[in-house]
This record gives sequence, C-alpha cells and structure tokens, in this order.
Amino acid sequence: MELPAIKRNWDFGLTVATVVLLGSLGLQSFVGTLYVWWAQRANPAWEQLHYAEFVSRMNAFAAPQVVLLVIVMGLCVPKRLFSRRALAATSVAMIAVGAAVWLVSGSLSTGLAAYLALSALIQVAVVALTVAGTQAPSYLTEGRLTKTGSGLLHLGFIVFAFVVVALQDSVFMLPAFWTATAFMLGGTVLSFYAEKLAVRRYRPADTSAED
Amino acid sequence: MDTTAVFEAIRASILMLERLGRPLEWVLLAAAALLFLTAVVPGARRWLGHALGVTAVLLVAGEGLLVWFHWQLYQNAVVVVPQTGQITGTVAVPLWIESEKLYVWAVVVAAMALLARRHREELLPGAAIILAVLTAGAVVWGKPFTYPLPSFFGQYGAYLSGMASGDIAQAVPAYQGMEGARQFYYNTWYMWVHPPLLFISYGAFAMSFVATLRMVASRFSGYETTAYRWARLGYLPLTAGMLLGFPWAILAWQGESWWWSGKVNMSIMMWLLYTAYLHARLYLRRRGMWRLVAALAILSFLVLVLTYLTTYIVPGAHSYA
Repeated sequence: MELPAIKRNWDFGLTVATVVLLGSLGLQSFVGTLYVWWAQRANPAWEQLHYAEFVSRMNAFAAPQVVLLVIVMGLCVPKRLFSRRALAATSVAMIAVGAAVWLVSGSLSTGLAAYLALSALIQVAVVALTVAGTQAPSYLTEGRLTKTGSGLLHLGFIVFAFVVVALQDSVFMLPAFWTATAFMLGGTVLSFYAEKLAVRRYRPADTSAED
Repeated sequence: MDTTAVFEAIRASILMLERLGRPLEWVLLAAAALLFLTAVVPGARRWLGHALGVTAVLLVAGEGLLVWFHWQLYQNAVVVVPQTGQITGTVAVPLWIESEKLYVWAVVVAAMALLARRHREELLPGAAIILAVLTAGAVVWGKPFTYPLPSFFGQYGAYLSGMASGDIAQAVPAYQGMEGARQFYYNTWYMWVHPPLLFISYGAFAMSFVATLRMVASRFSGYETTAYRWARLGYLPLTAGMLLGFPWAILAWQGESWWWSGKVNMSIMMWLLYTAYLHARLYLRRRGMWRLVAALAILSFLVLVLTYLTTYIVPGAHSYA
C-alpha cells in the first residue's frame, strides 16, 4: 500500500532528524575522545584535576541533543496511527504535556519521563494493533512480522530511554531494563529476519529472483 | 595456601604454552603473508581458498591451545583470604581480553569468510586481506602464546608475592585488588557474554565493509544488499552486547562518570553510526541516496577500527581489558 505524501515526508523528515542527531552525538563523542587523548598527553594529572569538569561540559553539550532525540523518537510513534491533522495535534499535545510537567515539577527529567510515558502508551497501542493485523498503523516496511518487529524495537527504545531518564535509582530499573532489552532484540530479529521466520501459507510462484 | 605450588603449576602452563605456541606464531605469520599474497596477486588468486582454509585451521588450533591454557589457569589461579585462609574461588580468565583480543577477532573473520555464500568469490580477496592483517597483528602485537595476559599475571603475581611474604599489611591490599577483579571483572557473567558478542559483530561488519567497497567500486546494487545482510547480522550482537553492558556498568563503576570514557564514547558513536546507516538505508531508492548509505557504512567501519584502538590510545575504564 502506497503511503500518502504527507506521511512519506513526515517519515523522511523524522528519519533525517534522527540521522542528524545521531551523527551529531557521534561527532561529540569523537571530539570528546580526541580531547581526552590530547589532554592526558599535555597534562598527566589531567584525569585527577579536570575529569569532573570535562564530564559536566560533555553532559551540558549532550543534554539538548538527547532531549531532541527523545522528542523525535516520541514523534515517530503517533505517525503510525494518526491522520495528518490528528498527527500534528497529538505531537503538539505530547510536547505540551512534557513541558507542563517540567514546569510544574521543576525537573527536566520528570518532564521527559512524562513525555516518554505518553509515547510508550501510544506505542503499546501501535504494537497491539499491528499484532492484531488491523490496517490502522502505517509503516514504511511491509509484512505483519516486520511491522511488529519495528513497533517492538521502537517501544524498546522508548522504555530504555525511560529507564535512563527516570529509573536509574529505582527498584524497577532492572525489570524495566530487561523488558526494554527483550523488546529491542526481539524487535530487531523480527525486523531483520521476518521473511525467514514467517510461516508461508502458500508457495511463492517464483523464488529464483530473490537472490 | 601453598603459593609455591600455585606459582609452579602456573609457570609450567606458561612454559608449555610458549613451547607449543612459539612455532605456531611463526607458522601463522607465514600463513598470513601467504593469504595476503594470494589476495593481492591476481595470478595467485586460485590458491586463495586454500590459503584461507589453512589460516583458519591454524587459528582454530591456536584457539584450542589457548582454551587449554585458560583451563589450567582456572584450575590453579586460586584466591584465598589472607586473614582466614578461606578460599574465595579461582580466576576464570576470559578468552578475549588483553593479548588475545585481536586473535579472537581474526578467528571470527576467518569463520565468516569461510561461511560467506553470497558473492563469495568477489568478497574473499577483501576478507582475506583483513584476515591477514588481523592474524599478523594478533601475533606481532598481541603475542598470545609467548607473552600471555600481562595485566592478569602482573596482578596475580603481586597477589602471590603478598601472600608468600607472610606480611599481612602487604597481602591484604593485594588480595582486595585481586578479589575485586575476580568478582567484578574476570568471573562476572558479563565478561563471558559482552566481548564475544562484540567480536561477532566486528567480524560481520568487516564483511559488510568489504561488500560496500565492492559496491562503490562496481556500482552493482547486489553488493549493497550483501553489505546490508552482513551489517544486520553485526548490528544484532552489537546492540545486545552494548545493552548488556549497561546494568553491569552501573553496578561495577558505581559513582564513576563512565559514560564519557573514551571507549564507551567511541562505542556509542559506532552504534549511532550503524543505526544511522540502517535508517538511511530505508530510503535507498531515493536519488543519490546510495552514496550517503555507502559513506555511512564506510565511516561506521572506520570508527569501529578506531573504537578498537581507543582502548590502547585513550586510558579509561576499558583499558583494564
């Protein structure tokens, strides 16, 4: 089924934003590593004297990028379910809820946690609808198993981000982490190898062209 | 604790490893040189499959010798509390640390080159060059048979000396360091799962890199599909290996800002780049997109190599390994 143009553009835009943010975080990691390498050679006592300062500076640079990445990840979720207008409204509402919780609690991580919790709820619905085989969720990929894999993979990322943002000191950290890991790895396997895992109800007419 | 008996048993294992391993190192070097020549000299290409098979057999034989050596260590490298004489356990030294890392990577690449089916003939020369470099590097810099596990023996030797001295003030700190390393590093389940998963992914990414180079050189899209198939095979253990590190790092590096250490930095960057590659690939059919996808694939592999080297170049939590 061909996706409507607006959804294709939304998908492409979010993919580009994800790639740019991932690349930017990667570049920061690289520059940080180079800096540590240089600093340790210039000053052998650098680690004892300046490492804490380096960590806070790296955290400060990374924080807005991670926040944006979390927002982009959250925006990837409703695109599966909603029409153009509802999509825009849902995205704005999710960001507004996150921002409101941030302002009320005074904690950015609580605001992000609320935003991620909303995303996780929508993503659970997306996965459930995908597994049920309804036409509602739209994907770039084809096949129910591949779509379920993609849905689980993104749900896993959201739960993992939730663990990092909100649960690091909680007793729920490990159970939530293992759940995220299971979703991500199971989702990756389904996304990559759905064609090998699928049970065929009919024999394809010609398989020679596949390889 | 009879420190002399422990010392003698371990010394005998090291001598046996060296006696058998030294000639094997020379044979491996010769095999690597031969493999390289058959890959780069067009006239010798017909011998490439044989050279690959011989190198793989030699590498597996060496790995068998290392398994025997590690088993001997596990039997003998006992840790005892100095004050009470109570045995806390023996050290299970993983097979993929210190001097043995490049060797394991070479074994994985050899296995994957042998198992490759799609575009096998075209990929083998590139895979063989990588394997020859890894094998030579493992022998020349790693010296797994003639200079095994220097950090482990440095620490365990200091512990044995402390215990043999009879001076409790010297023995206790040496014991604490050794027991900490035994519990949170050598014997932890994580060290037996995380590195092998990463080396499997490194092997698959090496094959993906070769296929990407073929694609760039020939502009034939079939190689791109092959590169993707190897990349997805590598991405799964990479993700699993990195994820499994998270709860362990929180426990073992409590209170440390480990997430900005050089190796973690570079590993995250490598994972981000491969994730970016897989995302960009969704739009492969867009005009000119294959160039970006190929650039990301090549950059990701170069960063993988840098990530590996970071352990040695930038000191940090991973330098222990």
